[in-house]
Amino acid sequence: MTTEETVIQARALTKEFVRDEFHVIALQDVDIDIHKGEFVALMGPSGSGKSTLLHLIAAMDYATGGEIRVLGENLRAMSDGEIARWRNHNVGFIFQQFNLIPVLTALENVELPLKLTNLNKQERNDHATTALKLVGLGDRLGHFPRQLSGGQEQRVAIARAIVTDPALILADEPTGNLDAASAQEVLSILSRLNKEYGKTIVMVTHDAHAARSATKVRHLEKGALLPEGQLPAD
Amino acid sequence: MFRYLPLVVKNCWRNRRRTTLTIISIGASLCLLGVLMAIYHAFYFSDPPPEQALRLVTRNRVSLTFQMPQAYREQIKQIPGVREVMISQWFGGTYKDRRPENMFARFASEPDRLFTIHGEMRVPENQKKAFQRERSACLVGKALADKYGWKLGDRITIVGDIFPLNLELTLRAIYEADLNNETLYFNREYLEESLSERRRGNAGTFNILADSPESVPRIAAAVDTKFRNSSAAETKTEAEQAFQLGFISAMGNVKLFLLSICGAVTFTIMLVSANTMAMSVRERVREVGVLRTLGFTPAAIMGMILGEAVAISIIGGVIGCGLASLLCGVVRSAPAFILQLKTLSITPPVAAACIGVAAFIGLVSSAVPAWSASRTPIVEALRASD
Ligand SMILES: Nc1ncnc2c1ncn2[C@@H]1O[C@H](COP(=O)(O)OP(=O)(O)OP(=O)(O)O)[C@@H](O)[C@H]1O
Ligand SMILES: [Mg+2]
Repeated sequence: MTTEETVIQARALTKEFVRDEFHVIALQDVDIDIHKGEFVALMGPSGSGKSTLLHLIAAMDYATGGEIRVLGENLRAMSDGEIARWRNHNVGFIFQQFNLIPVLTALENVELPLKLTNLNKQERNDHATTALKLVGLGDRLGHFPRQLSGGQEQRVAIARAIVTDPALILADEPTGNLDAASAQEVLSILSRLNKEYGKTIVMVTHDAHAARSATKVRHLEKGALLPEGQLPAD
Repeated sequence: MFRYLPLVVKNCWRNRRRTTLTIISIGASLCLLGVLMAIYHAFYFSDPPPEQALRLVTRNRVSLTFQMPQAYREQIKQIPGVREVMISQWFGGTYKDRRPENMFARFASEPDRLFTIHGEMRVPENQKKAFQRERSACLVGKALADKYGWKLGDRITIVGDIFPLNLELTLRAIYEADLNNETLYFNREYLEESLSERRRGNAGTFNILADSPESVPRIAAAVDTKFRNSSAAETKTEAEQAFQLGFISAMGNVKLFLLSICGAVTFTIMLVSANTMAMSVRERVREVGVLRTLGFTPAAIMGMILGEAVAISIIGGVIGCGLASLLCGVVRSAPAFILQLKTLSITPPVAAACIGVAAFIGLVSSAVPAWSASRTPIVEALRASD
């Protein structure tokens, strides 16, 4: 069945950081399957490897062991250029610190990923405007990041992440820097993207309340993924 | 590529103060560089002004301070293509005092030939006659007359140094010319008759007027061949422009001097600019990580950073060229014996070279930071603090 289509499939995924004589195993033999249309919350204590896993899924970093297939692609077999293109088309990434470009307006920030497509200026504008309307910021197109609240900035960042209509959205503690009300807005937008637009979402969070927006919760502990349904010991 | 232009432009303006300072420092250095290149170009690449293109100067092969027999004049006159030959003798001496502002060129020359050789001089006919008629008459350039407030009929005394006599001259004519307005000419006869028998009958240089610019090189060769192995004096003949440049190089290796200053200026501004670019890129490593996450390739990011640096440098270069143009105006109006400096300007080739150097500075100074920023692993770039 197509509803069971596997979007992310990792087998024995391992990431070891080597810096001087220090070896840190950030991920150890992680097996995970995430299916199309799932909204997975990834939880775990600080340093448990949540961000690392997200980076490997987005091919922003390389695994040191194991296999990972995302949207049917074997990421390790792709060149840098192919990966950049692939990420532009298929993955929207949302950061805890929003990471908007300060010299660009909301509209220009959202338009940025479209510069890599062959859409013309008008089309890029239309797409970016649509994305901003979808996150409820249709009236803030010309505002610069410093003129927006944290919650609004994060919504612009979400618009930027979805403007190329990617199948997969990855969010690393998207509500970590927000007050409760703004966090709730962001979570409901992500929920909508998942339910109405069928986006597959993987969201790292510390917040049990935030995790409730997800359809599934997985826990990482010291680089290992706990079996589905199992909670950390403490 | 043009799609990135707005981002490039906005990035330039991100830190206005730094960008402005960078533009000013590049502008100032390129102003200096522009003037030096203009001088270099004027000396070694430019065509001489039209009136100079027909003139040659013959001097003693050994050195300018040695003379030649005046009889050479008639022999030179025989050479095909030679329209006129005039003896000219640098007098030196002092006017009033030895201060540099009272230094101007004084030549003993032949009044009945002078206006043929220097066809560019504009002198009223009656003044010409007055100058040619009187032994102790002199002719000066308009700029010189204005500077000292001289009027026709004024007496001008030049105290001799190379030659043991004081000139007591009467101003009889004032010439105007587009380029050189600052020379004093008097009659060579006046000088000759006050010399001892032994020292008479010599010429410092022969100024030759050719019938066309094309015959200039041939005449030069013919004159020197004629007097080769002559017991009296061997000669060295060159186009007047080359002769004047020879004058300058007597002061040292001007070419090397100009080039080394140009090099030093370029190198220094390159270092300053590299430092600024490194700083400005370092602050943005995190943004580079964000762009890469959005799917920008290292090459595109490198292109944007280089583009930014080149844009800033070119703006500096254009400003520098503008300033250099003004400075050339100052040089043009300053007194000088070198005709080339009278027309000094930022010509299109010089401006192009100037802006080219600016672009090069931008490119080189940002290459290393651009390369390393664009190759920083994404995750590492994202961890960089702002
Ligand atoms: N670039 C790196 N170099 C060395 N070690 C790293 C690097 N990135 C992460 N680590 C280490 O890998 C482990 C997992 O890090 P990761 O950032 O994935 O944790 P996390 O679960 O996202 O934690 P947090 O909740 O604090 O964000 C940590 O021990 C961290 O110190
Ligand atoms: Mg993390």
